[in-house]
Amino acid sequence: MLLAFGNFTADPSVNLQLLIGGLALGAIYAVVALGFVLVYKSTDVLNLAHGEFLMLGAYFALTFLISENLNFFLGVFVLLLVMLVFGLVVHYGIMRRMVGQGFFAIVLITLGIATIIRALLLIFYGPTERARLDLLPQGSFEVGGATVRHVDLVIFGVVALCVLLFFLFFKYTRLGLHMRAVADDIEAAAAMGIDPDKVYAMTWAAAMVMAGVGGLLFGHVTGAIDRSIEAIGLRAFPAAVVGGLTSLGGSIVGGLVVGVIEQFANGHLGTKWREPVAFSVMFVVLLVRPTGLWGRKDLERV
Amino acid sequence: MTATENPAAQQADQTYRPSTLQRFLPFVVAAVVPFILGATTDDLNFWWKAAITIAILALVARLAWKWTPRGELTHREDMRLWRTPSDRSWAALTMFGLLVLPFILASDFTPPMDFPWATWFAVVNLVLIFAMGAAAFNLLVGYSGQISLAHVAFLALGSIVGGIVGVQWSGGNMWLALPAAALAGAVVGAISGLPALRLKHLYLLLATFGFHFVMMLVWREYLQEYFGFVGIRFKGVNSPRIASWLHWLPGIDPDENGEFIITGQFRWYWVLMPITVLSILFMVNVIRTREGRAFAAVRDRDVSASLLGINVARSKLMAFALSSAVVAMSGVLASFYIGSRGEDSFNVQTVLNYAIIIVVGGFSSIQGAIFGSAFFWFLPEWFKWAREELWFVRDIEFLSDYPSEIDLAIKGFLVVIILMFKPDGLAGMWRDFKNWLSRSLARRNP
Amino acid sequence: MSGGGLDLRIQDLTVVYGGVTALDNVNITVPSGGFVSVLGANGAGKTTLVRSITSLLYLHKGRVRRGSIVLGGESILGKKSPDIVSAGVAQVPEGRKLFPNLTVKENLLCGAASRSDVSGIDESLEQTLELFSQLRPLLSQTAGLLSGGEQQMVAVGRALMSQPTLLICDELSLGLAPKIVHRLFELLTEINETRGTSILVIEQNASLALQHANDAYVLELGRVLMEGSATELKGNPMVQELYLGGGGEAHTSYAAIERPSRSRPLEHGQRPPVTES
Ligand SMILES: Nc1ncnc2c1ncn2[C@@H]1O[C@H](COP(=O)(O)OP(=O)(O)O)[C@@H](O)[C@H]1O
Ligand SMILES: [Mg+2]
Repeated sequence: MLLAFGNFTADPSVNLQLLIGGLALGAIYAVVALGFVLVYKSTDVLNLAHGEFLMLGAYFALTFLISENLNFFLGVFVLLLVMLVFGLVVHYGIMRRMVGQGFFAIVLITLGIATIIRALLLIFYGPTERARLDLLPQGSFEVGGATVRHVDLVIFGVVALCVLLFFLFFKYTRLGLHMRAVADDIEAAAAMGIDPDKVYAMTWAAAMVMAGVGGLLFGHVTGAIDRSIEAIGLRAFPAAVVGGLTSLGGSIVGGLVVGVIEQFANGHLGTKWREPVAFSVMFVVLLVRPTGLWGRKDLERV
Repeated sequence: MTATENPAAQQADQTYRPSTLQRFLPFVVAAVVPFILGATTDDLNFWWKAAITIAILALVARLAWKWTPRGELTHREDMRLWRTPSDRSWAALTMFGLLVLPFILASDFTPPMDFPWATWFAVVNLVLIFAMGAAAFNLLVGYSGQISLAHVAFLALGSIVGGIVGVQWSGGNMWLALPAAALAGAVVGAISGLPALRLKHLYLLLATFGFHFVMMLVWREYLQEYFGFVGIRFKGVNSPRIASWLHWLPGIDPDENGEFIITGQFRWYWVLMPITVLSILFMVNVIRTREGRAFAAVRDRDVSASLLGINVARSKLMAFALSSAVVAMSGVLASFYIGSRGEDSFNVQTVLNYAIIIVVGGFSSIQGAIFGSAFFWFLPEWFKWAREELWFVRDIEFLSDYPSEIDLAIKGFLVVIILMFKPDGLAGMWRDFKNWLSRSLARRNP
Repeated sequence: MSGGGLDLRIQDLTVVYGGVTALDNVNITVPSGGFVSVLGANGAGKTTLVRSITSLLYLHKGRVRRGSIVLGGESILGKKSPDIVSAGVAQVPEGRKLFPNLTVKENLLCGAASRSDVSGIDESLEQTLELFSQLRPLLSQTAGLLSGGEQQMVAVGRALMSQPTLLICDELSLGLAPKIVHRLFELLTEINETRGTSILVIEQNASLALQHANDAYVLELGRVLMEGSATELKGNPMVQELYLGGGGEAHTSYAAIERPSRSRPLEHGQRPPVTES
């Protein structure tokens, strides 16, 4: 075998640290996966541009919170508002015309959008990397020999809150109901007088806002803010798939599971194993249970 | 009596059968004349050469048009690759163009406004390599409807096979690496297609993407094990060469040390062009066969296809194997042509690039890949030239400050715009143009 | 409840999908408070007619090439589907098309998407549940798990939730037991008579449709082949031959059309065999 295995260690504090790191990473994955899930659930679109959306969020956070030096809450509000407008632009400018097109064409158009965002960010922000954000609490504390950062706890809390809010929104509001109806059957929904166009626009706006939140959070834990952070979009795929792609709660569980697995692969096998292990897990889940652990089981209609 | 005879007479008028010689003559001319031109017109001015070339092009196309069977076609005639007058003309034209192109590009010529003549040759060769890989990709995702993002994995596989067979075992034997890569590509491709038997759409896309990452790991491990950070060098001692027993062939004069190394754009062109053309023709041919039509049936509806007696599993795996084999071969060619492959040679951006190529080219037809990759490689060249030479572009500072970013943005916008408004891409526009042209030509001289 | 129905006038309607003409110069009128039935075999263009009225063609890459659709004196052609529902047109789509992952109650509430009067919606829900008392215990069930008959009731109830002035039912009888179908049709008649809602039923099951409708149209290959009052058409020998199975036992005939028995695979381009009976 030409692949070298790292050393397995049984030291509990190392493993605890890996677990904590994994959960922290998993929380980030959950934010990203939530964005995938929102879009996929309502519009059946696999948004390969979500990583770029997130990068957009991180750069905007930089602009509003650092360069413009706005008050934190005002800055976050402006950030999310701008992201929301971008979401509407994506829908009304592009995705709207793609309703009814083939699956792959739509995937490719999201790749086109990703390319545009990447190019524009490079043009407007330049290739130099920026220091990561430092607006959330920066300290840490020790638990059983392992370090827990405050910022990870904040991320955790925000993700849980977002999932809860979305859950309540879908369950108890009229718009949420209409969004679920469109997700189930767009034609029937349209026939009932629900405007799929509006629902889709709301969905894209919500996904963009989630990307804004994600960018803000991820901007605090990434090494530096530069063009490479879009990769988080791809790296969160396994999390979204394991969680089932159609379930809000699933995105959290999937995120945590994959985060922990990745972190352990990273610690025990080596960094290069991180992605292959995550994607192998995804591969196996796809083959055994394509709808993920919590996804809805739609029957393929012939 | 006369009333019944007349239609029959008209039928006879429309039916036309050229002799075998006539059928092949335009193609023979298209095949031979470029070499004669290339060998004999050294002392002619470029413009003279261009004029002669265009005149011959027109003649060849005209003859191919004229000497095409018409009327009630037999089944065999109907199944030919180039069936209609316009098909045959375009085929002859393309053949002529492909053969005369290297002589033109190698000629010493300065176009007006310093258009970058010399770099064009490199671009043309890259277009050939990418067209081959993208066409195979298109066969899989466009024609067979099996969504996959694993094609770059097969380029990497091609590099690995090229490294093992072409470098480690035989020190530059690309000719051995090509079939080996095809074989490896077919086998691994079929394996990578296994999820397609169970998954569709999104899930298939993700599964193949997972495969991509696994392959990237294999690639990195392989590099580290045998080559280290520098990556594989396919240049120098590892350059492909023509075996000595073939040195008698016309046009092949060995160097002083008795070797004929494939180096330089001109020689590479003569390696890449035939391989690309043959493999694309091969794929176009496959989709006309029973096997290939089954691909389309499976794409449209696989449950119904199985009712029609098509073995769906076999069809899907065939599509994966075939496509991957060709992609792996193009990976070998790219490795040897570019000369080195390292850690960063394959990444997600490469996946995107191929996606851009097939979208812009039009992903409902295999030929679209050719347009797409030509566009992909010519756009930056053209843009660079425009930035440096065109007075009204040169002065826009913004453009020269961010050349590659703007390139990228243009590509992104094009993908979006084409998918929104012209989903058939450049190939679709080309088809419309050809239809328009042959209609207006047919009106003038039926 | 809502006042009398609005009349629907479809004139010279031609609809194409890409290059395929699905409706060709179709003229159909549903008078105010009328009960009209459109008959036709599979592929006649019935569903296309529904999609044209409710502006859903765009989801199928279809396009109205010519003609007009006027509801109560106002053109609804080119309006968006939510506006058409607001104008009073509700439909029971072909194949029911419930929202399978939503509960029965949520399905019904979706039917009221075009309304904003909360108390009125509650009232309609109550009325619908009175009409289909069977559904009351199922309210929190997932709709996808109901039986076919129950699903169809939810579908009709959902359509009624928007208080339509024109109710369109596309192949209500498809795949249901005759008894249930009879009940549904009686309900439609009742709604038509008590609420004055205009009703347009699209059917393959001709005997049933002709029994309840006032007027009927026969659609074939996108054209209106025949039109007249239901009694007229019932007596028409051609209709009897083609759609009433000679004696009125239409169920067997359309079941046979739905699932043609294929002993051998179809050749390329061959049309599926149409069972004649
Ligand atoms: N989405 C579509 N794309 C292309 N053709 C369609 C589409 N939907 C229906 N058709 C064609 O239109 C015709 C009428 O179909 P439809 O309205 O569904 O008939 P019916 O409801 O009477 O069975 C058929 O020939 C069908 O093939
Ligand atoms: Mg129908």
